Amino acid sequence: MRKLSLSLVLSAILAISAHAQTKIEFKEVTLDNGLHVVMHKDNSTPIVAVSVLYHVGSKNENPERTGFAHFFEHLLFEGTENIGRGEYMNKIQSIGGTLNAFTSNDITYYYEVVPSNQLETALYMESERMLHPKIDQVGVDTQREVIKEEKRQSYDNRPYGTILPETMKRAFQKHPYQWPVIGSMEHLDLAQLQEFMDFHKSYYVPNNAVLTIAGDIEYDQAEEWARAYFEEIPKGPESFYRPDVKEPKKSEEIRDIIYDNIQIPAIVQSYNLPPKSHKDSYALSMLSTYLTGGNSSLMTKELVDNQQKALAVAAIPLDLEDGGVFLMYSIANMGIEPADLEGEIDNLISKVQEEGVNERDFQKLQNIIENNLVSKNSSMAGIAQNLSQAKVFFGDTNYINEELSKYREVKREDLQRVAKEYLTLDGRVVLYYLPKSAETTE
Amino acid sequence: MKKIFIAILLFASVQAGFAQVDRSTYPEPAPAREIQLGDADSFTLENGLKVFVVKNDKLPRVAFSLVLERDPILEGDKAGMLGMIGEMLKGGTSNRTKDQLDEEIDFIGASINAGSTSIFASSLKKHQDKALDLMTDILYNPIFPEEELDKLKKQNLTGLAASKDEPNAIVSRLNSILNFGDNHPYGENETETTIKNIEVEDIKAYYETYFRPNIAYLAIVGDIDKAEAEKLANTYFAKWEKKEVPSKSYDKPSAPENNVIALVDRAASVQSVVNVTYPLEMSLSHPDYLTTRVLNYILGGGSSSRLFMNLREDKGYTYGAYSSIGADKVMATFRATANVKQTATDSAITEIIYEIKNLRDNGVTAEELEAAKANLSGSFGRSLESPSTIANFAINTERYGLSDDFYSTYLQKLSALTVEDINKAAKDYLKPENAYITVVGNGNEIAESLMAFGEVQKFDNMGQPERTIAIDGDIDAESVIQNYLEAIGGADKAKEIKTSKMESVAEIQGMKLGMSYIYDEQNQAFSNKVSMMGNVASHTLIKDGKATVTAMGQSQELTDEQYEAAKMSMFIFPELHYEMMGYSLELDGIREIEGEQAFKMVVSNPTGATTINYYSVDSGLKLKSESAETGEMFFSDYEEVEGIKYPMMMILKSPMIPMPLEAKVEKVAFNVTISEDDLK
Repeated sequence: MRKLSLSLVLSAILAISAHAQTKIEFKEVTLDNGLHVVMHKDNSTPIVAVSVLYHVGSKNENPERTGFAHFFEHLLFEGTENIGRGEYMNKIQSIGGTLNAFTSNDITYYYEVVPSNQLETALYMESERMLHPKIDQVGVDTQREVIKEEKRQSYDNRPYGTILPETMKRAFQKHPYQWPVIGSMEHLDLAQLQEFMDFHKSYYVPNNAVLTIAGDIEYDQAEEWARAYFEEIPKGPESFYRPDVKEPKKSEEIRDIIYDNIQIPAIVQSYNLPPKSHKDSYALSMLSTYLTGGNSSLMTKELVDNQQKALAVAAIPLDLEDGGVFLMYSIANMGIEPADLEGEIDNLISKVQEEGVNERDFQKLQNIIENNLVSKNSSMAGIAQNLSQAKVFFGDTNYINEELSKYREVKREDLQRVAKEYLTLDGRVVLYYLPKSAETTE
Repeated sequence: MKKIFIAILLFASVQAGFAQVDRSTYPEPAPAREIQLGDADSFTLENGLKVFVVKNDKLPRVAFSLVLERDPILEGDKAGMLGMIGEMLKGGTSNRTKDQLDEEIDFIGASINAGSTSIFASSLKKHQDKALDLMTDILYNPIFPEEELDKLKKQNLTGLAASKDEPNAIVSRLNSILNFGDNHPYGENETETTIKNIEVEDIKAYYETYFRPNIAYLAIVGDIDKAEAEKLANTYFAKWEKKEVPSKSYDKPSAPENNVIALVDRAASVQSVVNVTYPLEMSLSHPDYLTTRVLNYILGGGSSSRLFMNLREDKGYTYGAYSSIGADKVMATFRATANVKQTATDSAITEIIYEIKNLRDNGVTAEELEAAKANLSGSFGRSLESPSTIANFAINTERYGLSDDFYSTYLQKLSALTVEDINKAAKDYLKPENAYITVVGNGNEIAESLMAFGEVQKFDNMGQPERTIAIDGDIDAESVIQNYLEAIGGADKAKEIKTSKMESVAEIQGMKLGMSYIYDEQNQAFSNKVSMMGNVASHTLIKDGKATVTAMGQSQELTDEQYEAAKMSMFIFPELHYEMMGYSLELDGIREIEGEQAFKMVVSNPTGATTINYYSVDSGLKLKSESAETGEMFFSDYEEVEGIKYPMMMILKSPMIPMPLEAKVEKVAFNVTISEDDLK
């Protein structure tokens, strides 16, 4: 058993916010093995959320073995040396808890919410899958089939389901963001058991993870248990493979048509974004709200209500660690040519680039952002996720309390500037989703 | 922003705590904290509006949610109307246009939603008066503008078209029709016709009848106490006028006598959506409500359930398999569902039925029951994290006439359930032999395997039965063609026609679309131009043994195979040429086309491309033609032109165009001179 260093500190942060954003108190500590532990105490409901964020996503994968991070999301429910196959989900649910996980291009996130008297069990179980998950051929073979059906259900069989992968494939020529999180089924078929074991050793280790405990806890007890179960897990490699690839700036528009099983055409436009922690992210997020957030937003009002050329329009800044995409999609209304609708979208973008945003609209955006941020931390599960992402993406857990002030730093002129700088017509990807003139219908 | 970091040295006791943990077993839980159910304050206004208040000042927000309790409504030939009420309410008031409403709501960062039985508003505490002002303006003063309805109809038509390709939408339509029948509020579905039937007057009448305080509940939840809530409620809702609201009742459908297997053929499917469903009586106030929650949890309520463990974790057929037992004061349904691997469609159905049957016949284990109780208790406990839960509990208690201690004794009642209770519910409510087994998938691949479950009934993507009728023995493909040629004026007369020019006009979104056709059979030439506002949008030209399609400024020559397919449409009366072109004909039963019985004829060219024609059984005339390339073309309004009957209305439905194109023939002329210029 390894010895504890007395130099570890707990930091309690008492940030005082001038705005309505309700402050989230927390304590945090880094264990000797590098595991970062964040705790938030709220005794109002007898529940606790426990989560582990592993800083590994699809971008860390070998280009010949895509889909591994997501595969692990499934595999780590299979069991551990002490927890039998299929028992993981059963146990959490049979103690009155709920659990799930997700994988993105940047991270894999596992969480459970359990009655607070079961905190120790939740910590034990998360520590088990970090220490010694059981990865065997039966589990691999089963989950491979499950994932194939997940892919069919979520992408192939779903109208417009391939928008994201088709966009990313074109938006990123160099960066690993080009392949989908769910990965290639061929790669998964080829992968050997040993490769999965190796992948686990490389990333699913304490010094690449954040453990978060939020809810009905006492700080001392929670920390004691966190140490008891996690401290013995050996530290992983000193460094981790993180792709150091800068996606080159595009000089030409990429334009394609995707024929899908749909009846109503859709248009997708995507623009590459700066890294998530870049200061322009806030202005870009406000810009997306200006364009399509709410019924009075520029594009919703003009294209859905006034011209009625679109059934729906949405601008989503998919902000990723190394820079994601500003994704805009719109579904055409009955009988509207996609080119016609696209022209109108472009006109509105040019309008923002030329005229910027007026003072009243800017005030409105600030009010909307304030409302959204207040509502963001309304559940223990949400707080746990926001705390751990603050630590991993912004290097500072207290970012959770500073987000609003970051938005407040955005000036009205910044919106016009980022519209010009990032929404450039010659660097974008445009996809038309058109109906497959396929089988005769009877 | 100010940060103070306090460094605290670790206590020695922490070190002692982790000395040794036993990893071989699960830790013992700490004593459970009792789950406290907060109370909602309540009061009733003079107009009958019941108000419930739950204070929770964790976040500086307040939510006002108004809900109406009325019986379900059968919309009949206006199906889809209820779905538009909410947007129509927000479509403008006598004080504010829609633009002003949208702007004012967004300006304070609030959200206000409305539906046919609800209006919901939430905002930061500091904006609560403004939010209420907007909410009640929508409630009292909606003006239901005509143009807003037109927009919604257009959006609904687009949405309906999109849903015809969406497997889950298709299956839920089919389920509702099978479970409840067309003539029930839960079974009827909107169609193009019913959407077009909706008028502003219908919306107004609904609003006048049902938006009344005497059937309404208002929940006020958040950073607000009872005194303030009472003041606000009186200020904003006391003037709402009450009025008697009609009640309705409906026949209760029953589960089918035997299993019915229903298939919607969706040729593009790469996996199959499989459902097992039937109607059942179950509601919050039903004595078996809790036992059926436990029963469903064990069968398919989550990722530890029998269905999930069998179909996903053991067989790998699916990403997830679940079941549900609904609760509704009129009628609920049982439903088990999974999206499964195409080749495992029949096996998945077998396993789902097996699990239902096994649970019914052999019951649950004590261990399963304990796990289910713990999970349902946990989920009850978690739901209390949200302050609106307590308000919902209070409203449900009133709304569904539950006993006053329904929620406060919920956990005790749950914990008292026995294995026998659940096994009895399993026998009463699980019906593996009286279910609709509905499937949406690729018929070519799966239809045969489904026959193992009984006769496969086929339905279209709107949930209507596909009908086929047997053909009289002495009718064959030849005679159907002869009848058709006879019906239009005789083969001899038709053969005399060598050239033709035809012009038709369609209207789409107020824009005129012109279509001109030129046929020159002697030279095997054909031209079809589609023009919009005077500009040619597309041009298909066949001449000199090749075919080109020009659209959006780009020309493309068709491949040999496409050329052969295109040739199928270059004749004025293709039926005259089938034999000469070496086409094969196959008569494939009788189908209903727009309410008329028609012979279905599959015409295949030598390269295998097919066109399907439908000829009226009664009149002999061609009613419809369809092919993969051109979509569906319906012919009607036959009129005599130079002794030949010609369809003056052609309706094109194609996957390439979102709504049916109604082309009216304006000019048609036979044996006219075709110039070089005509074929450019």
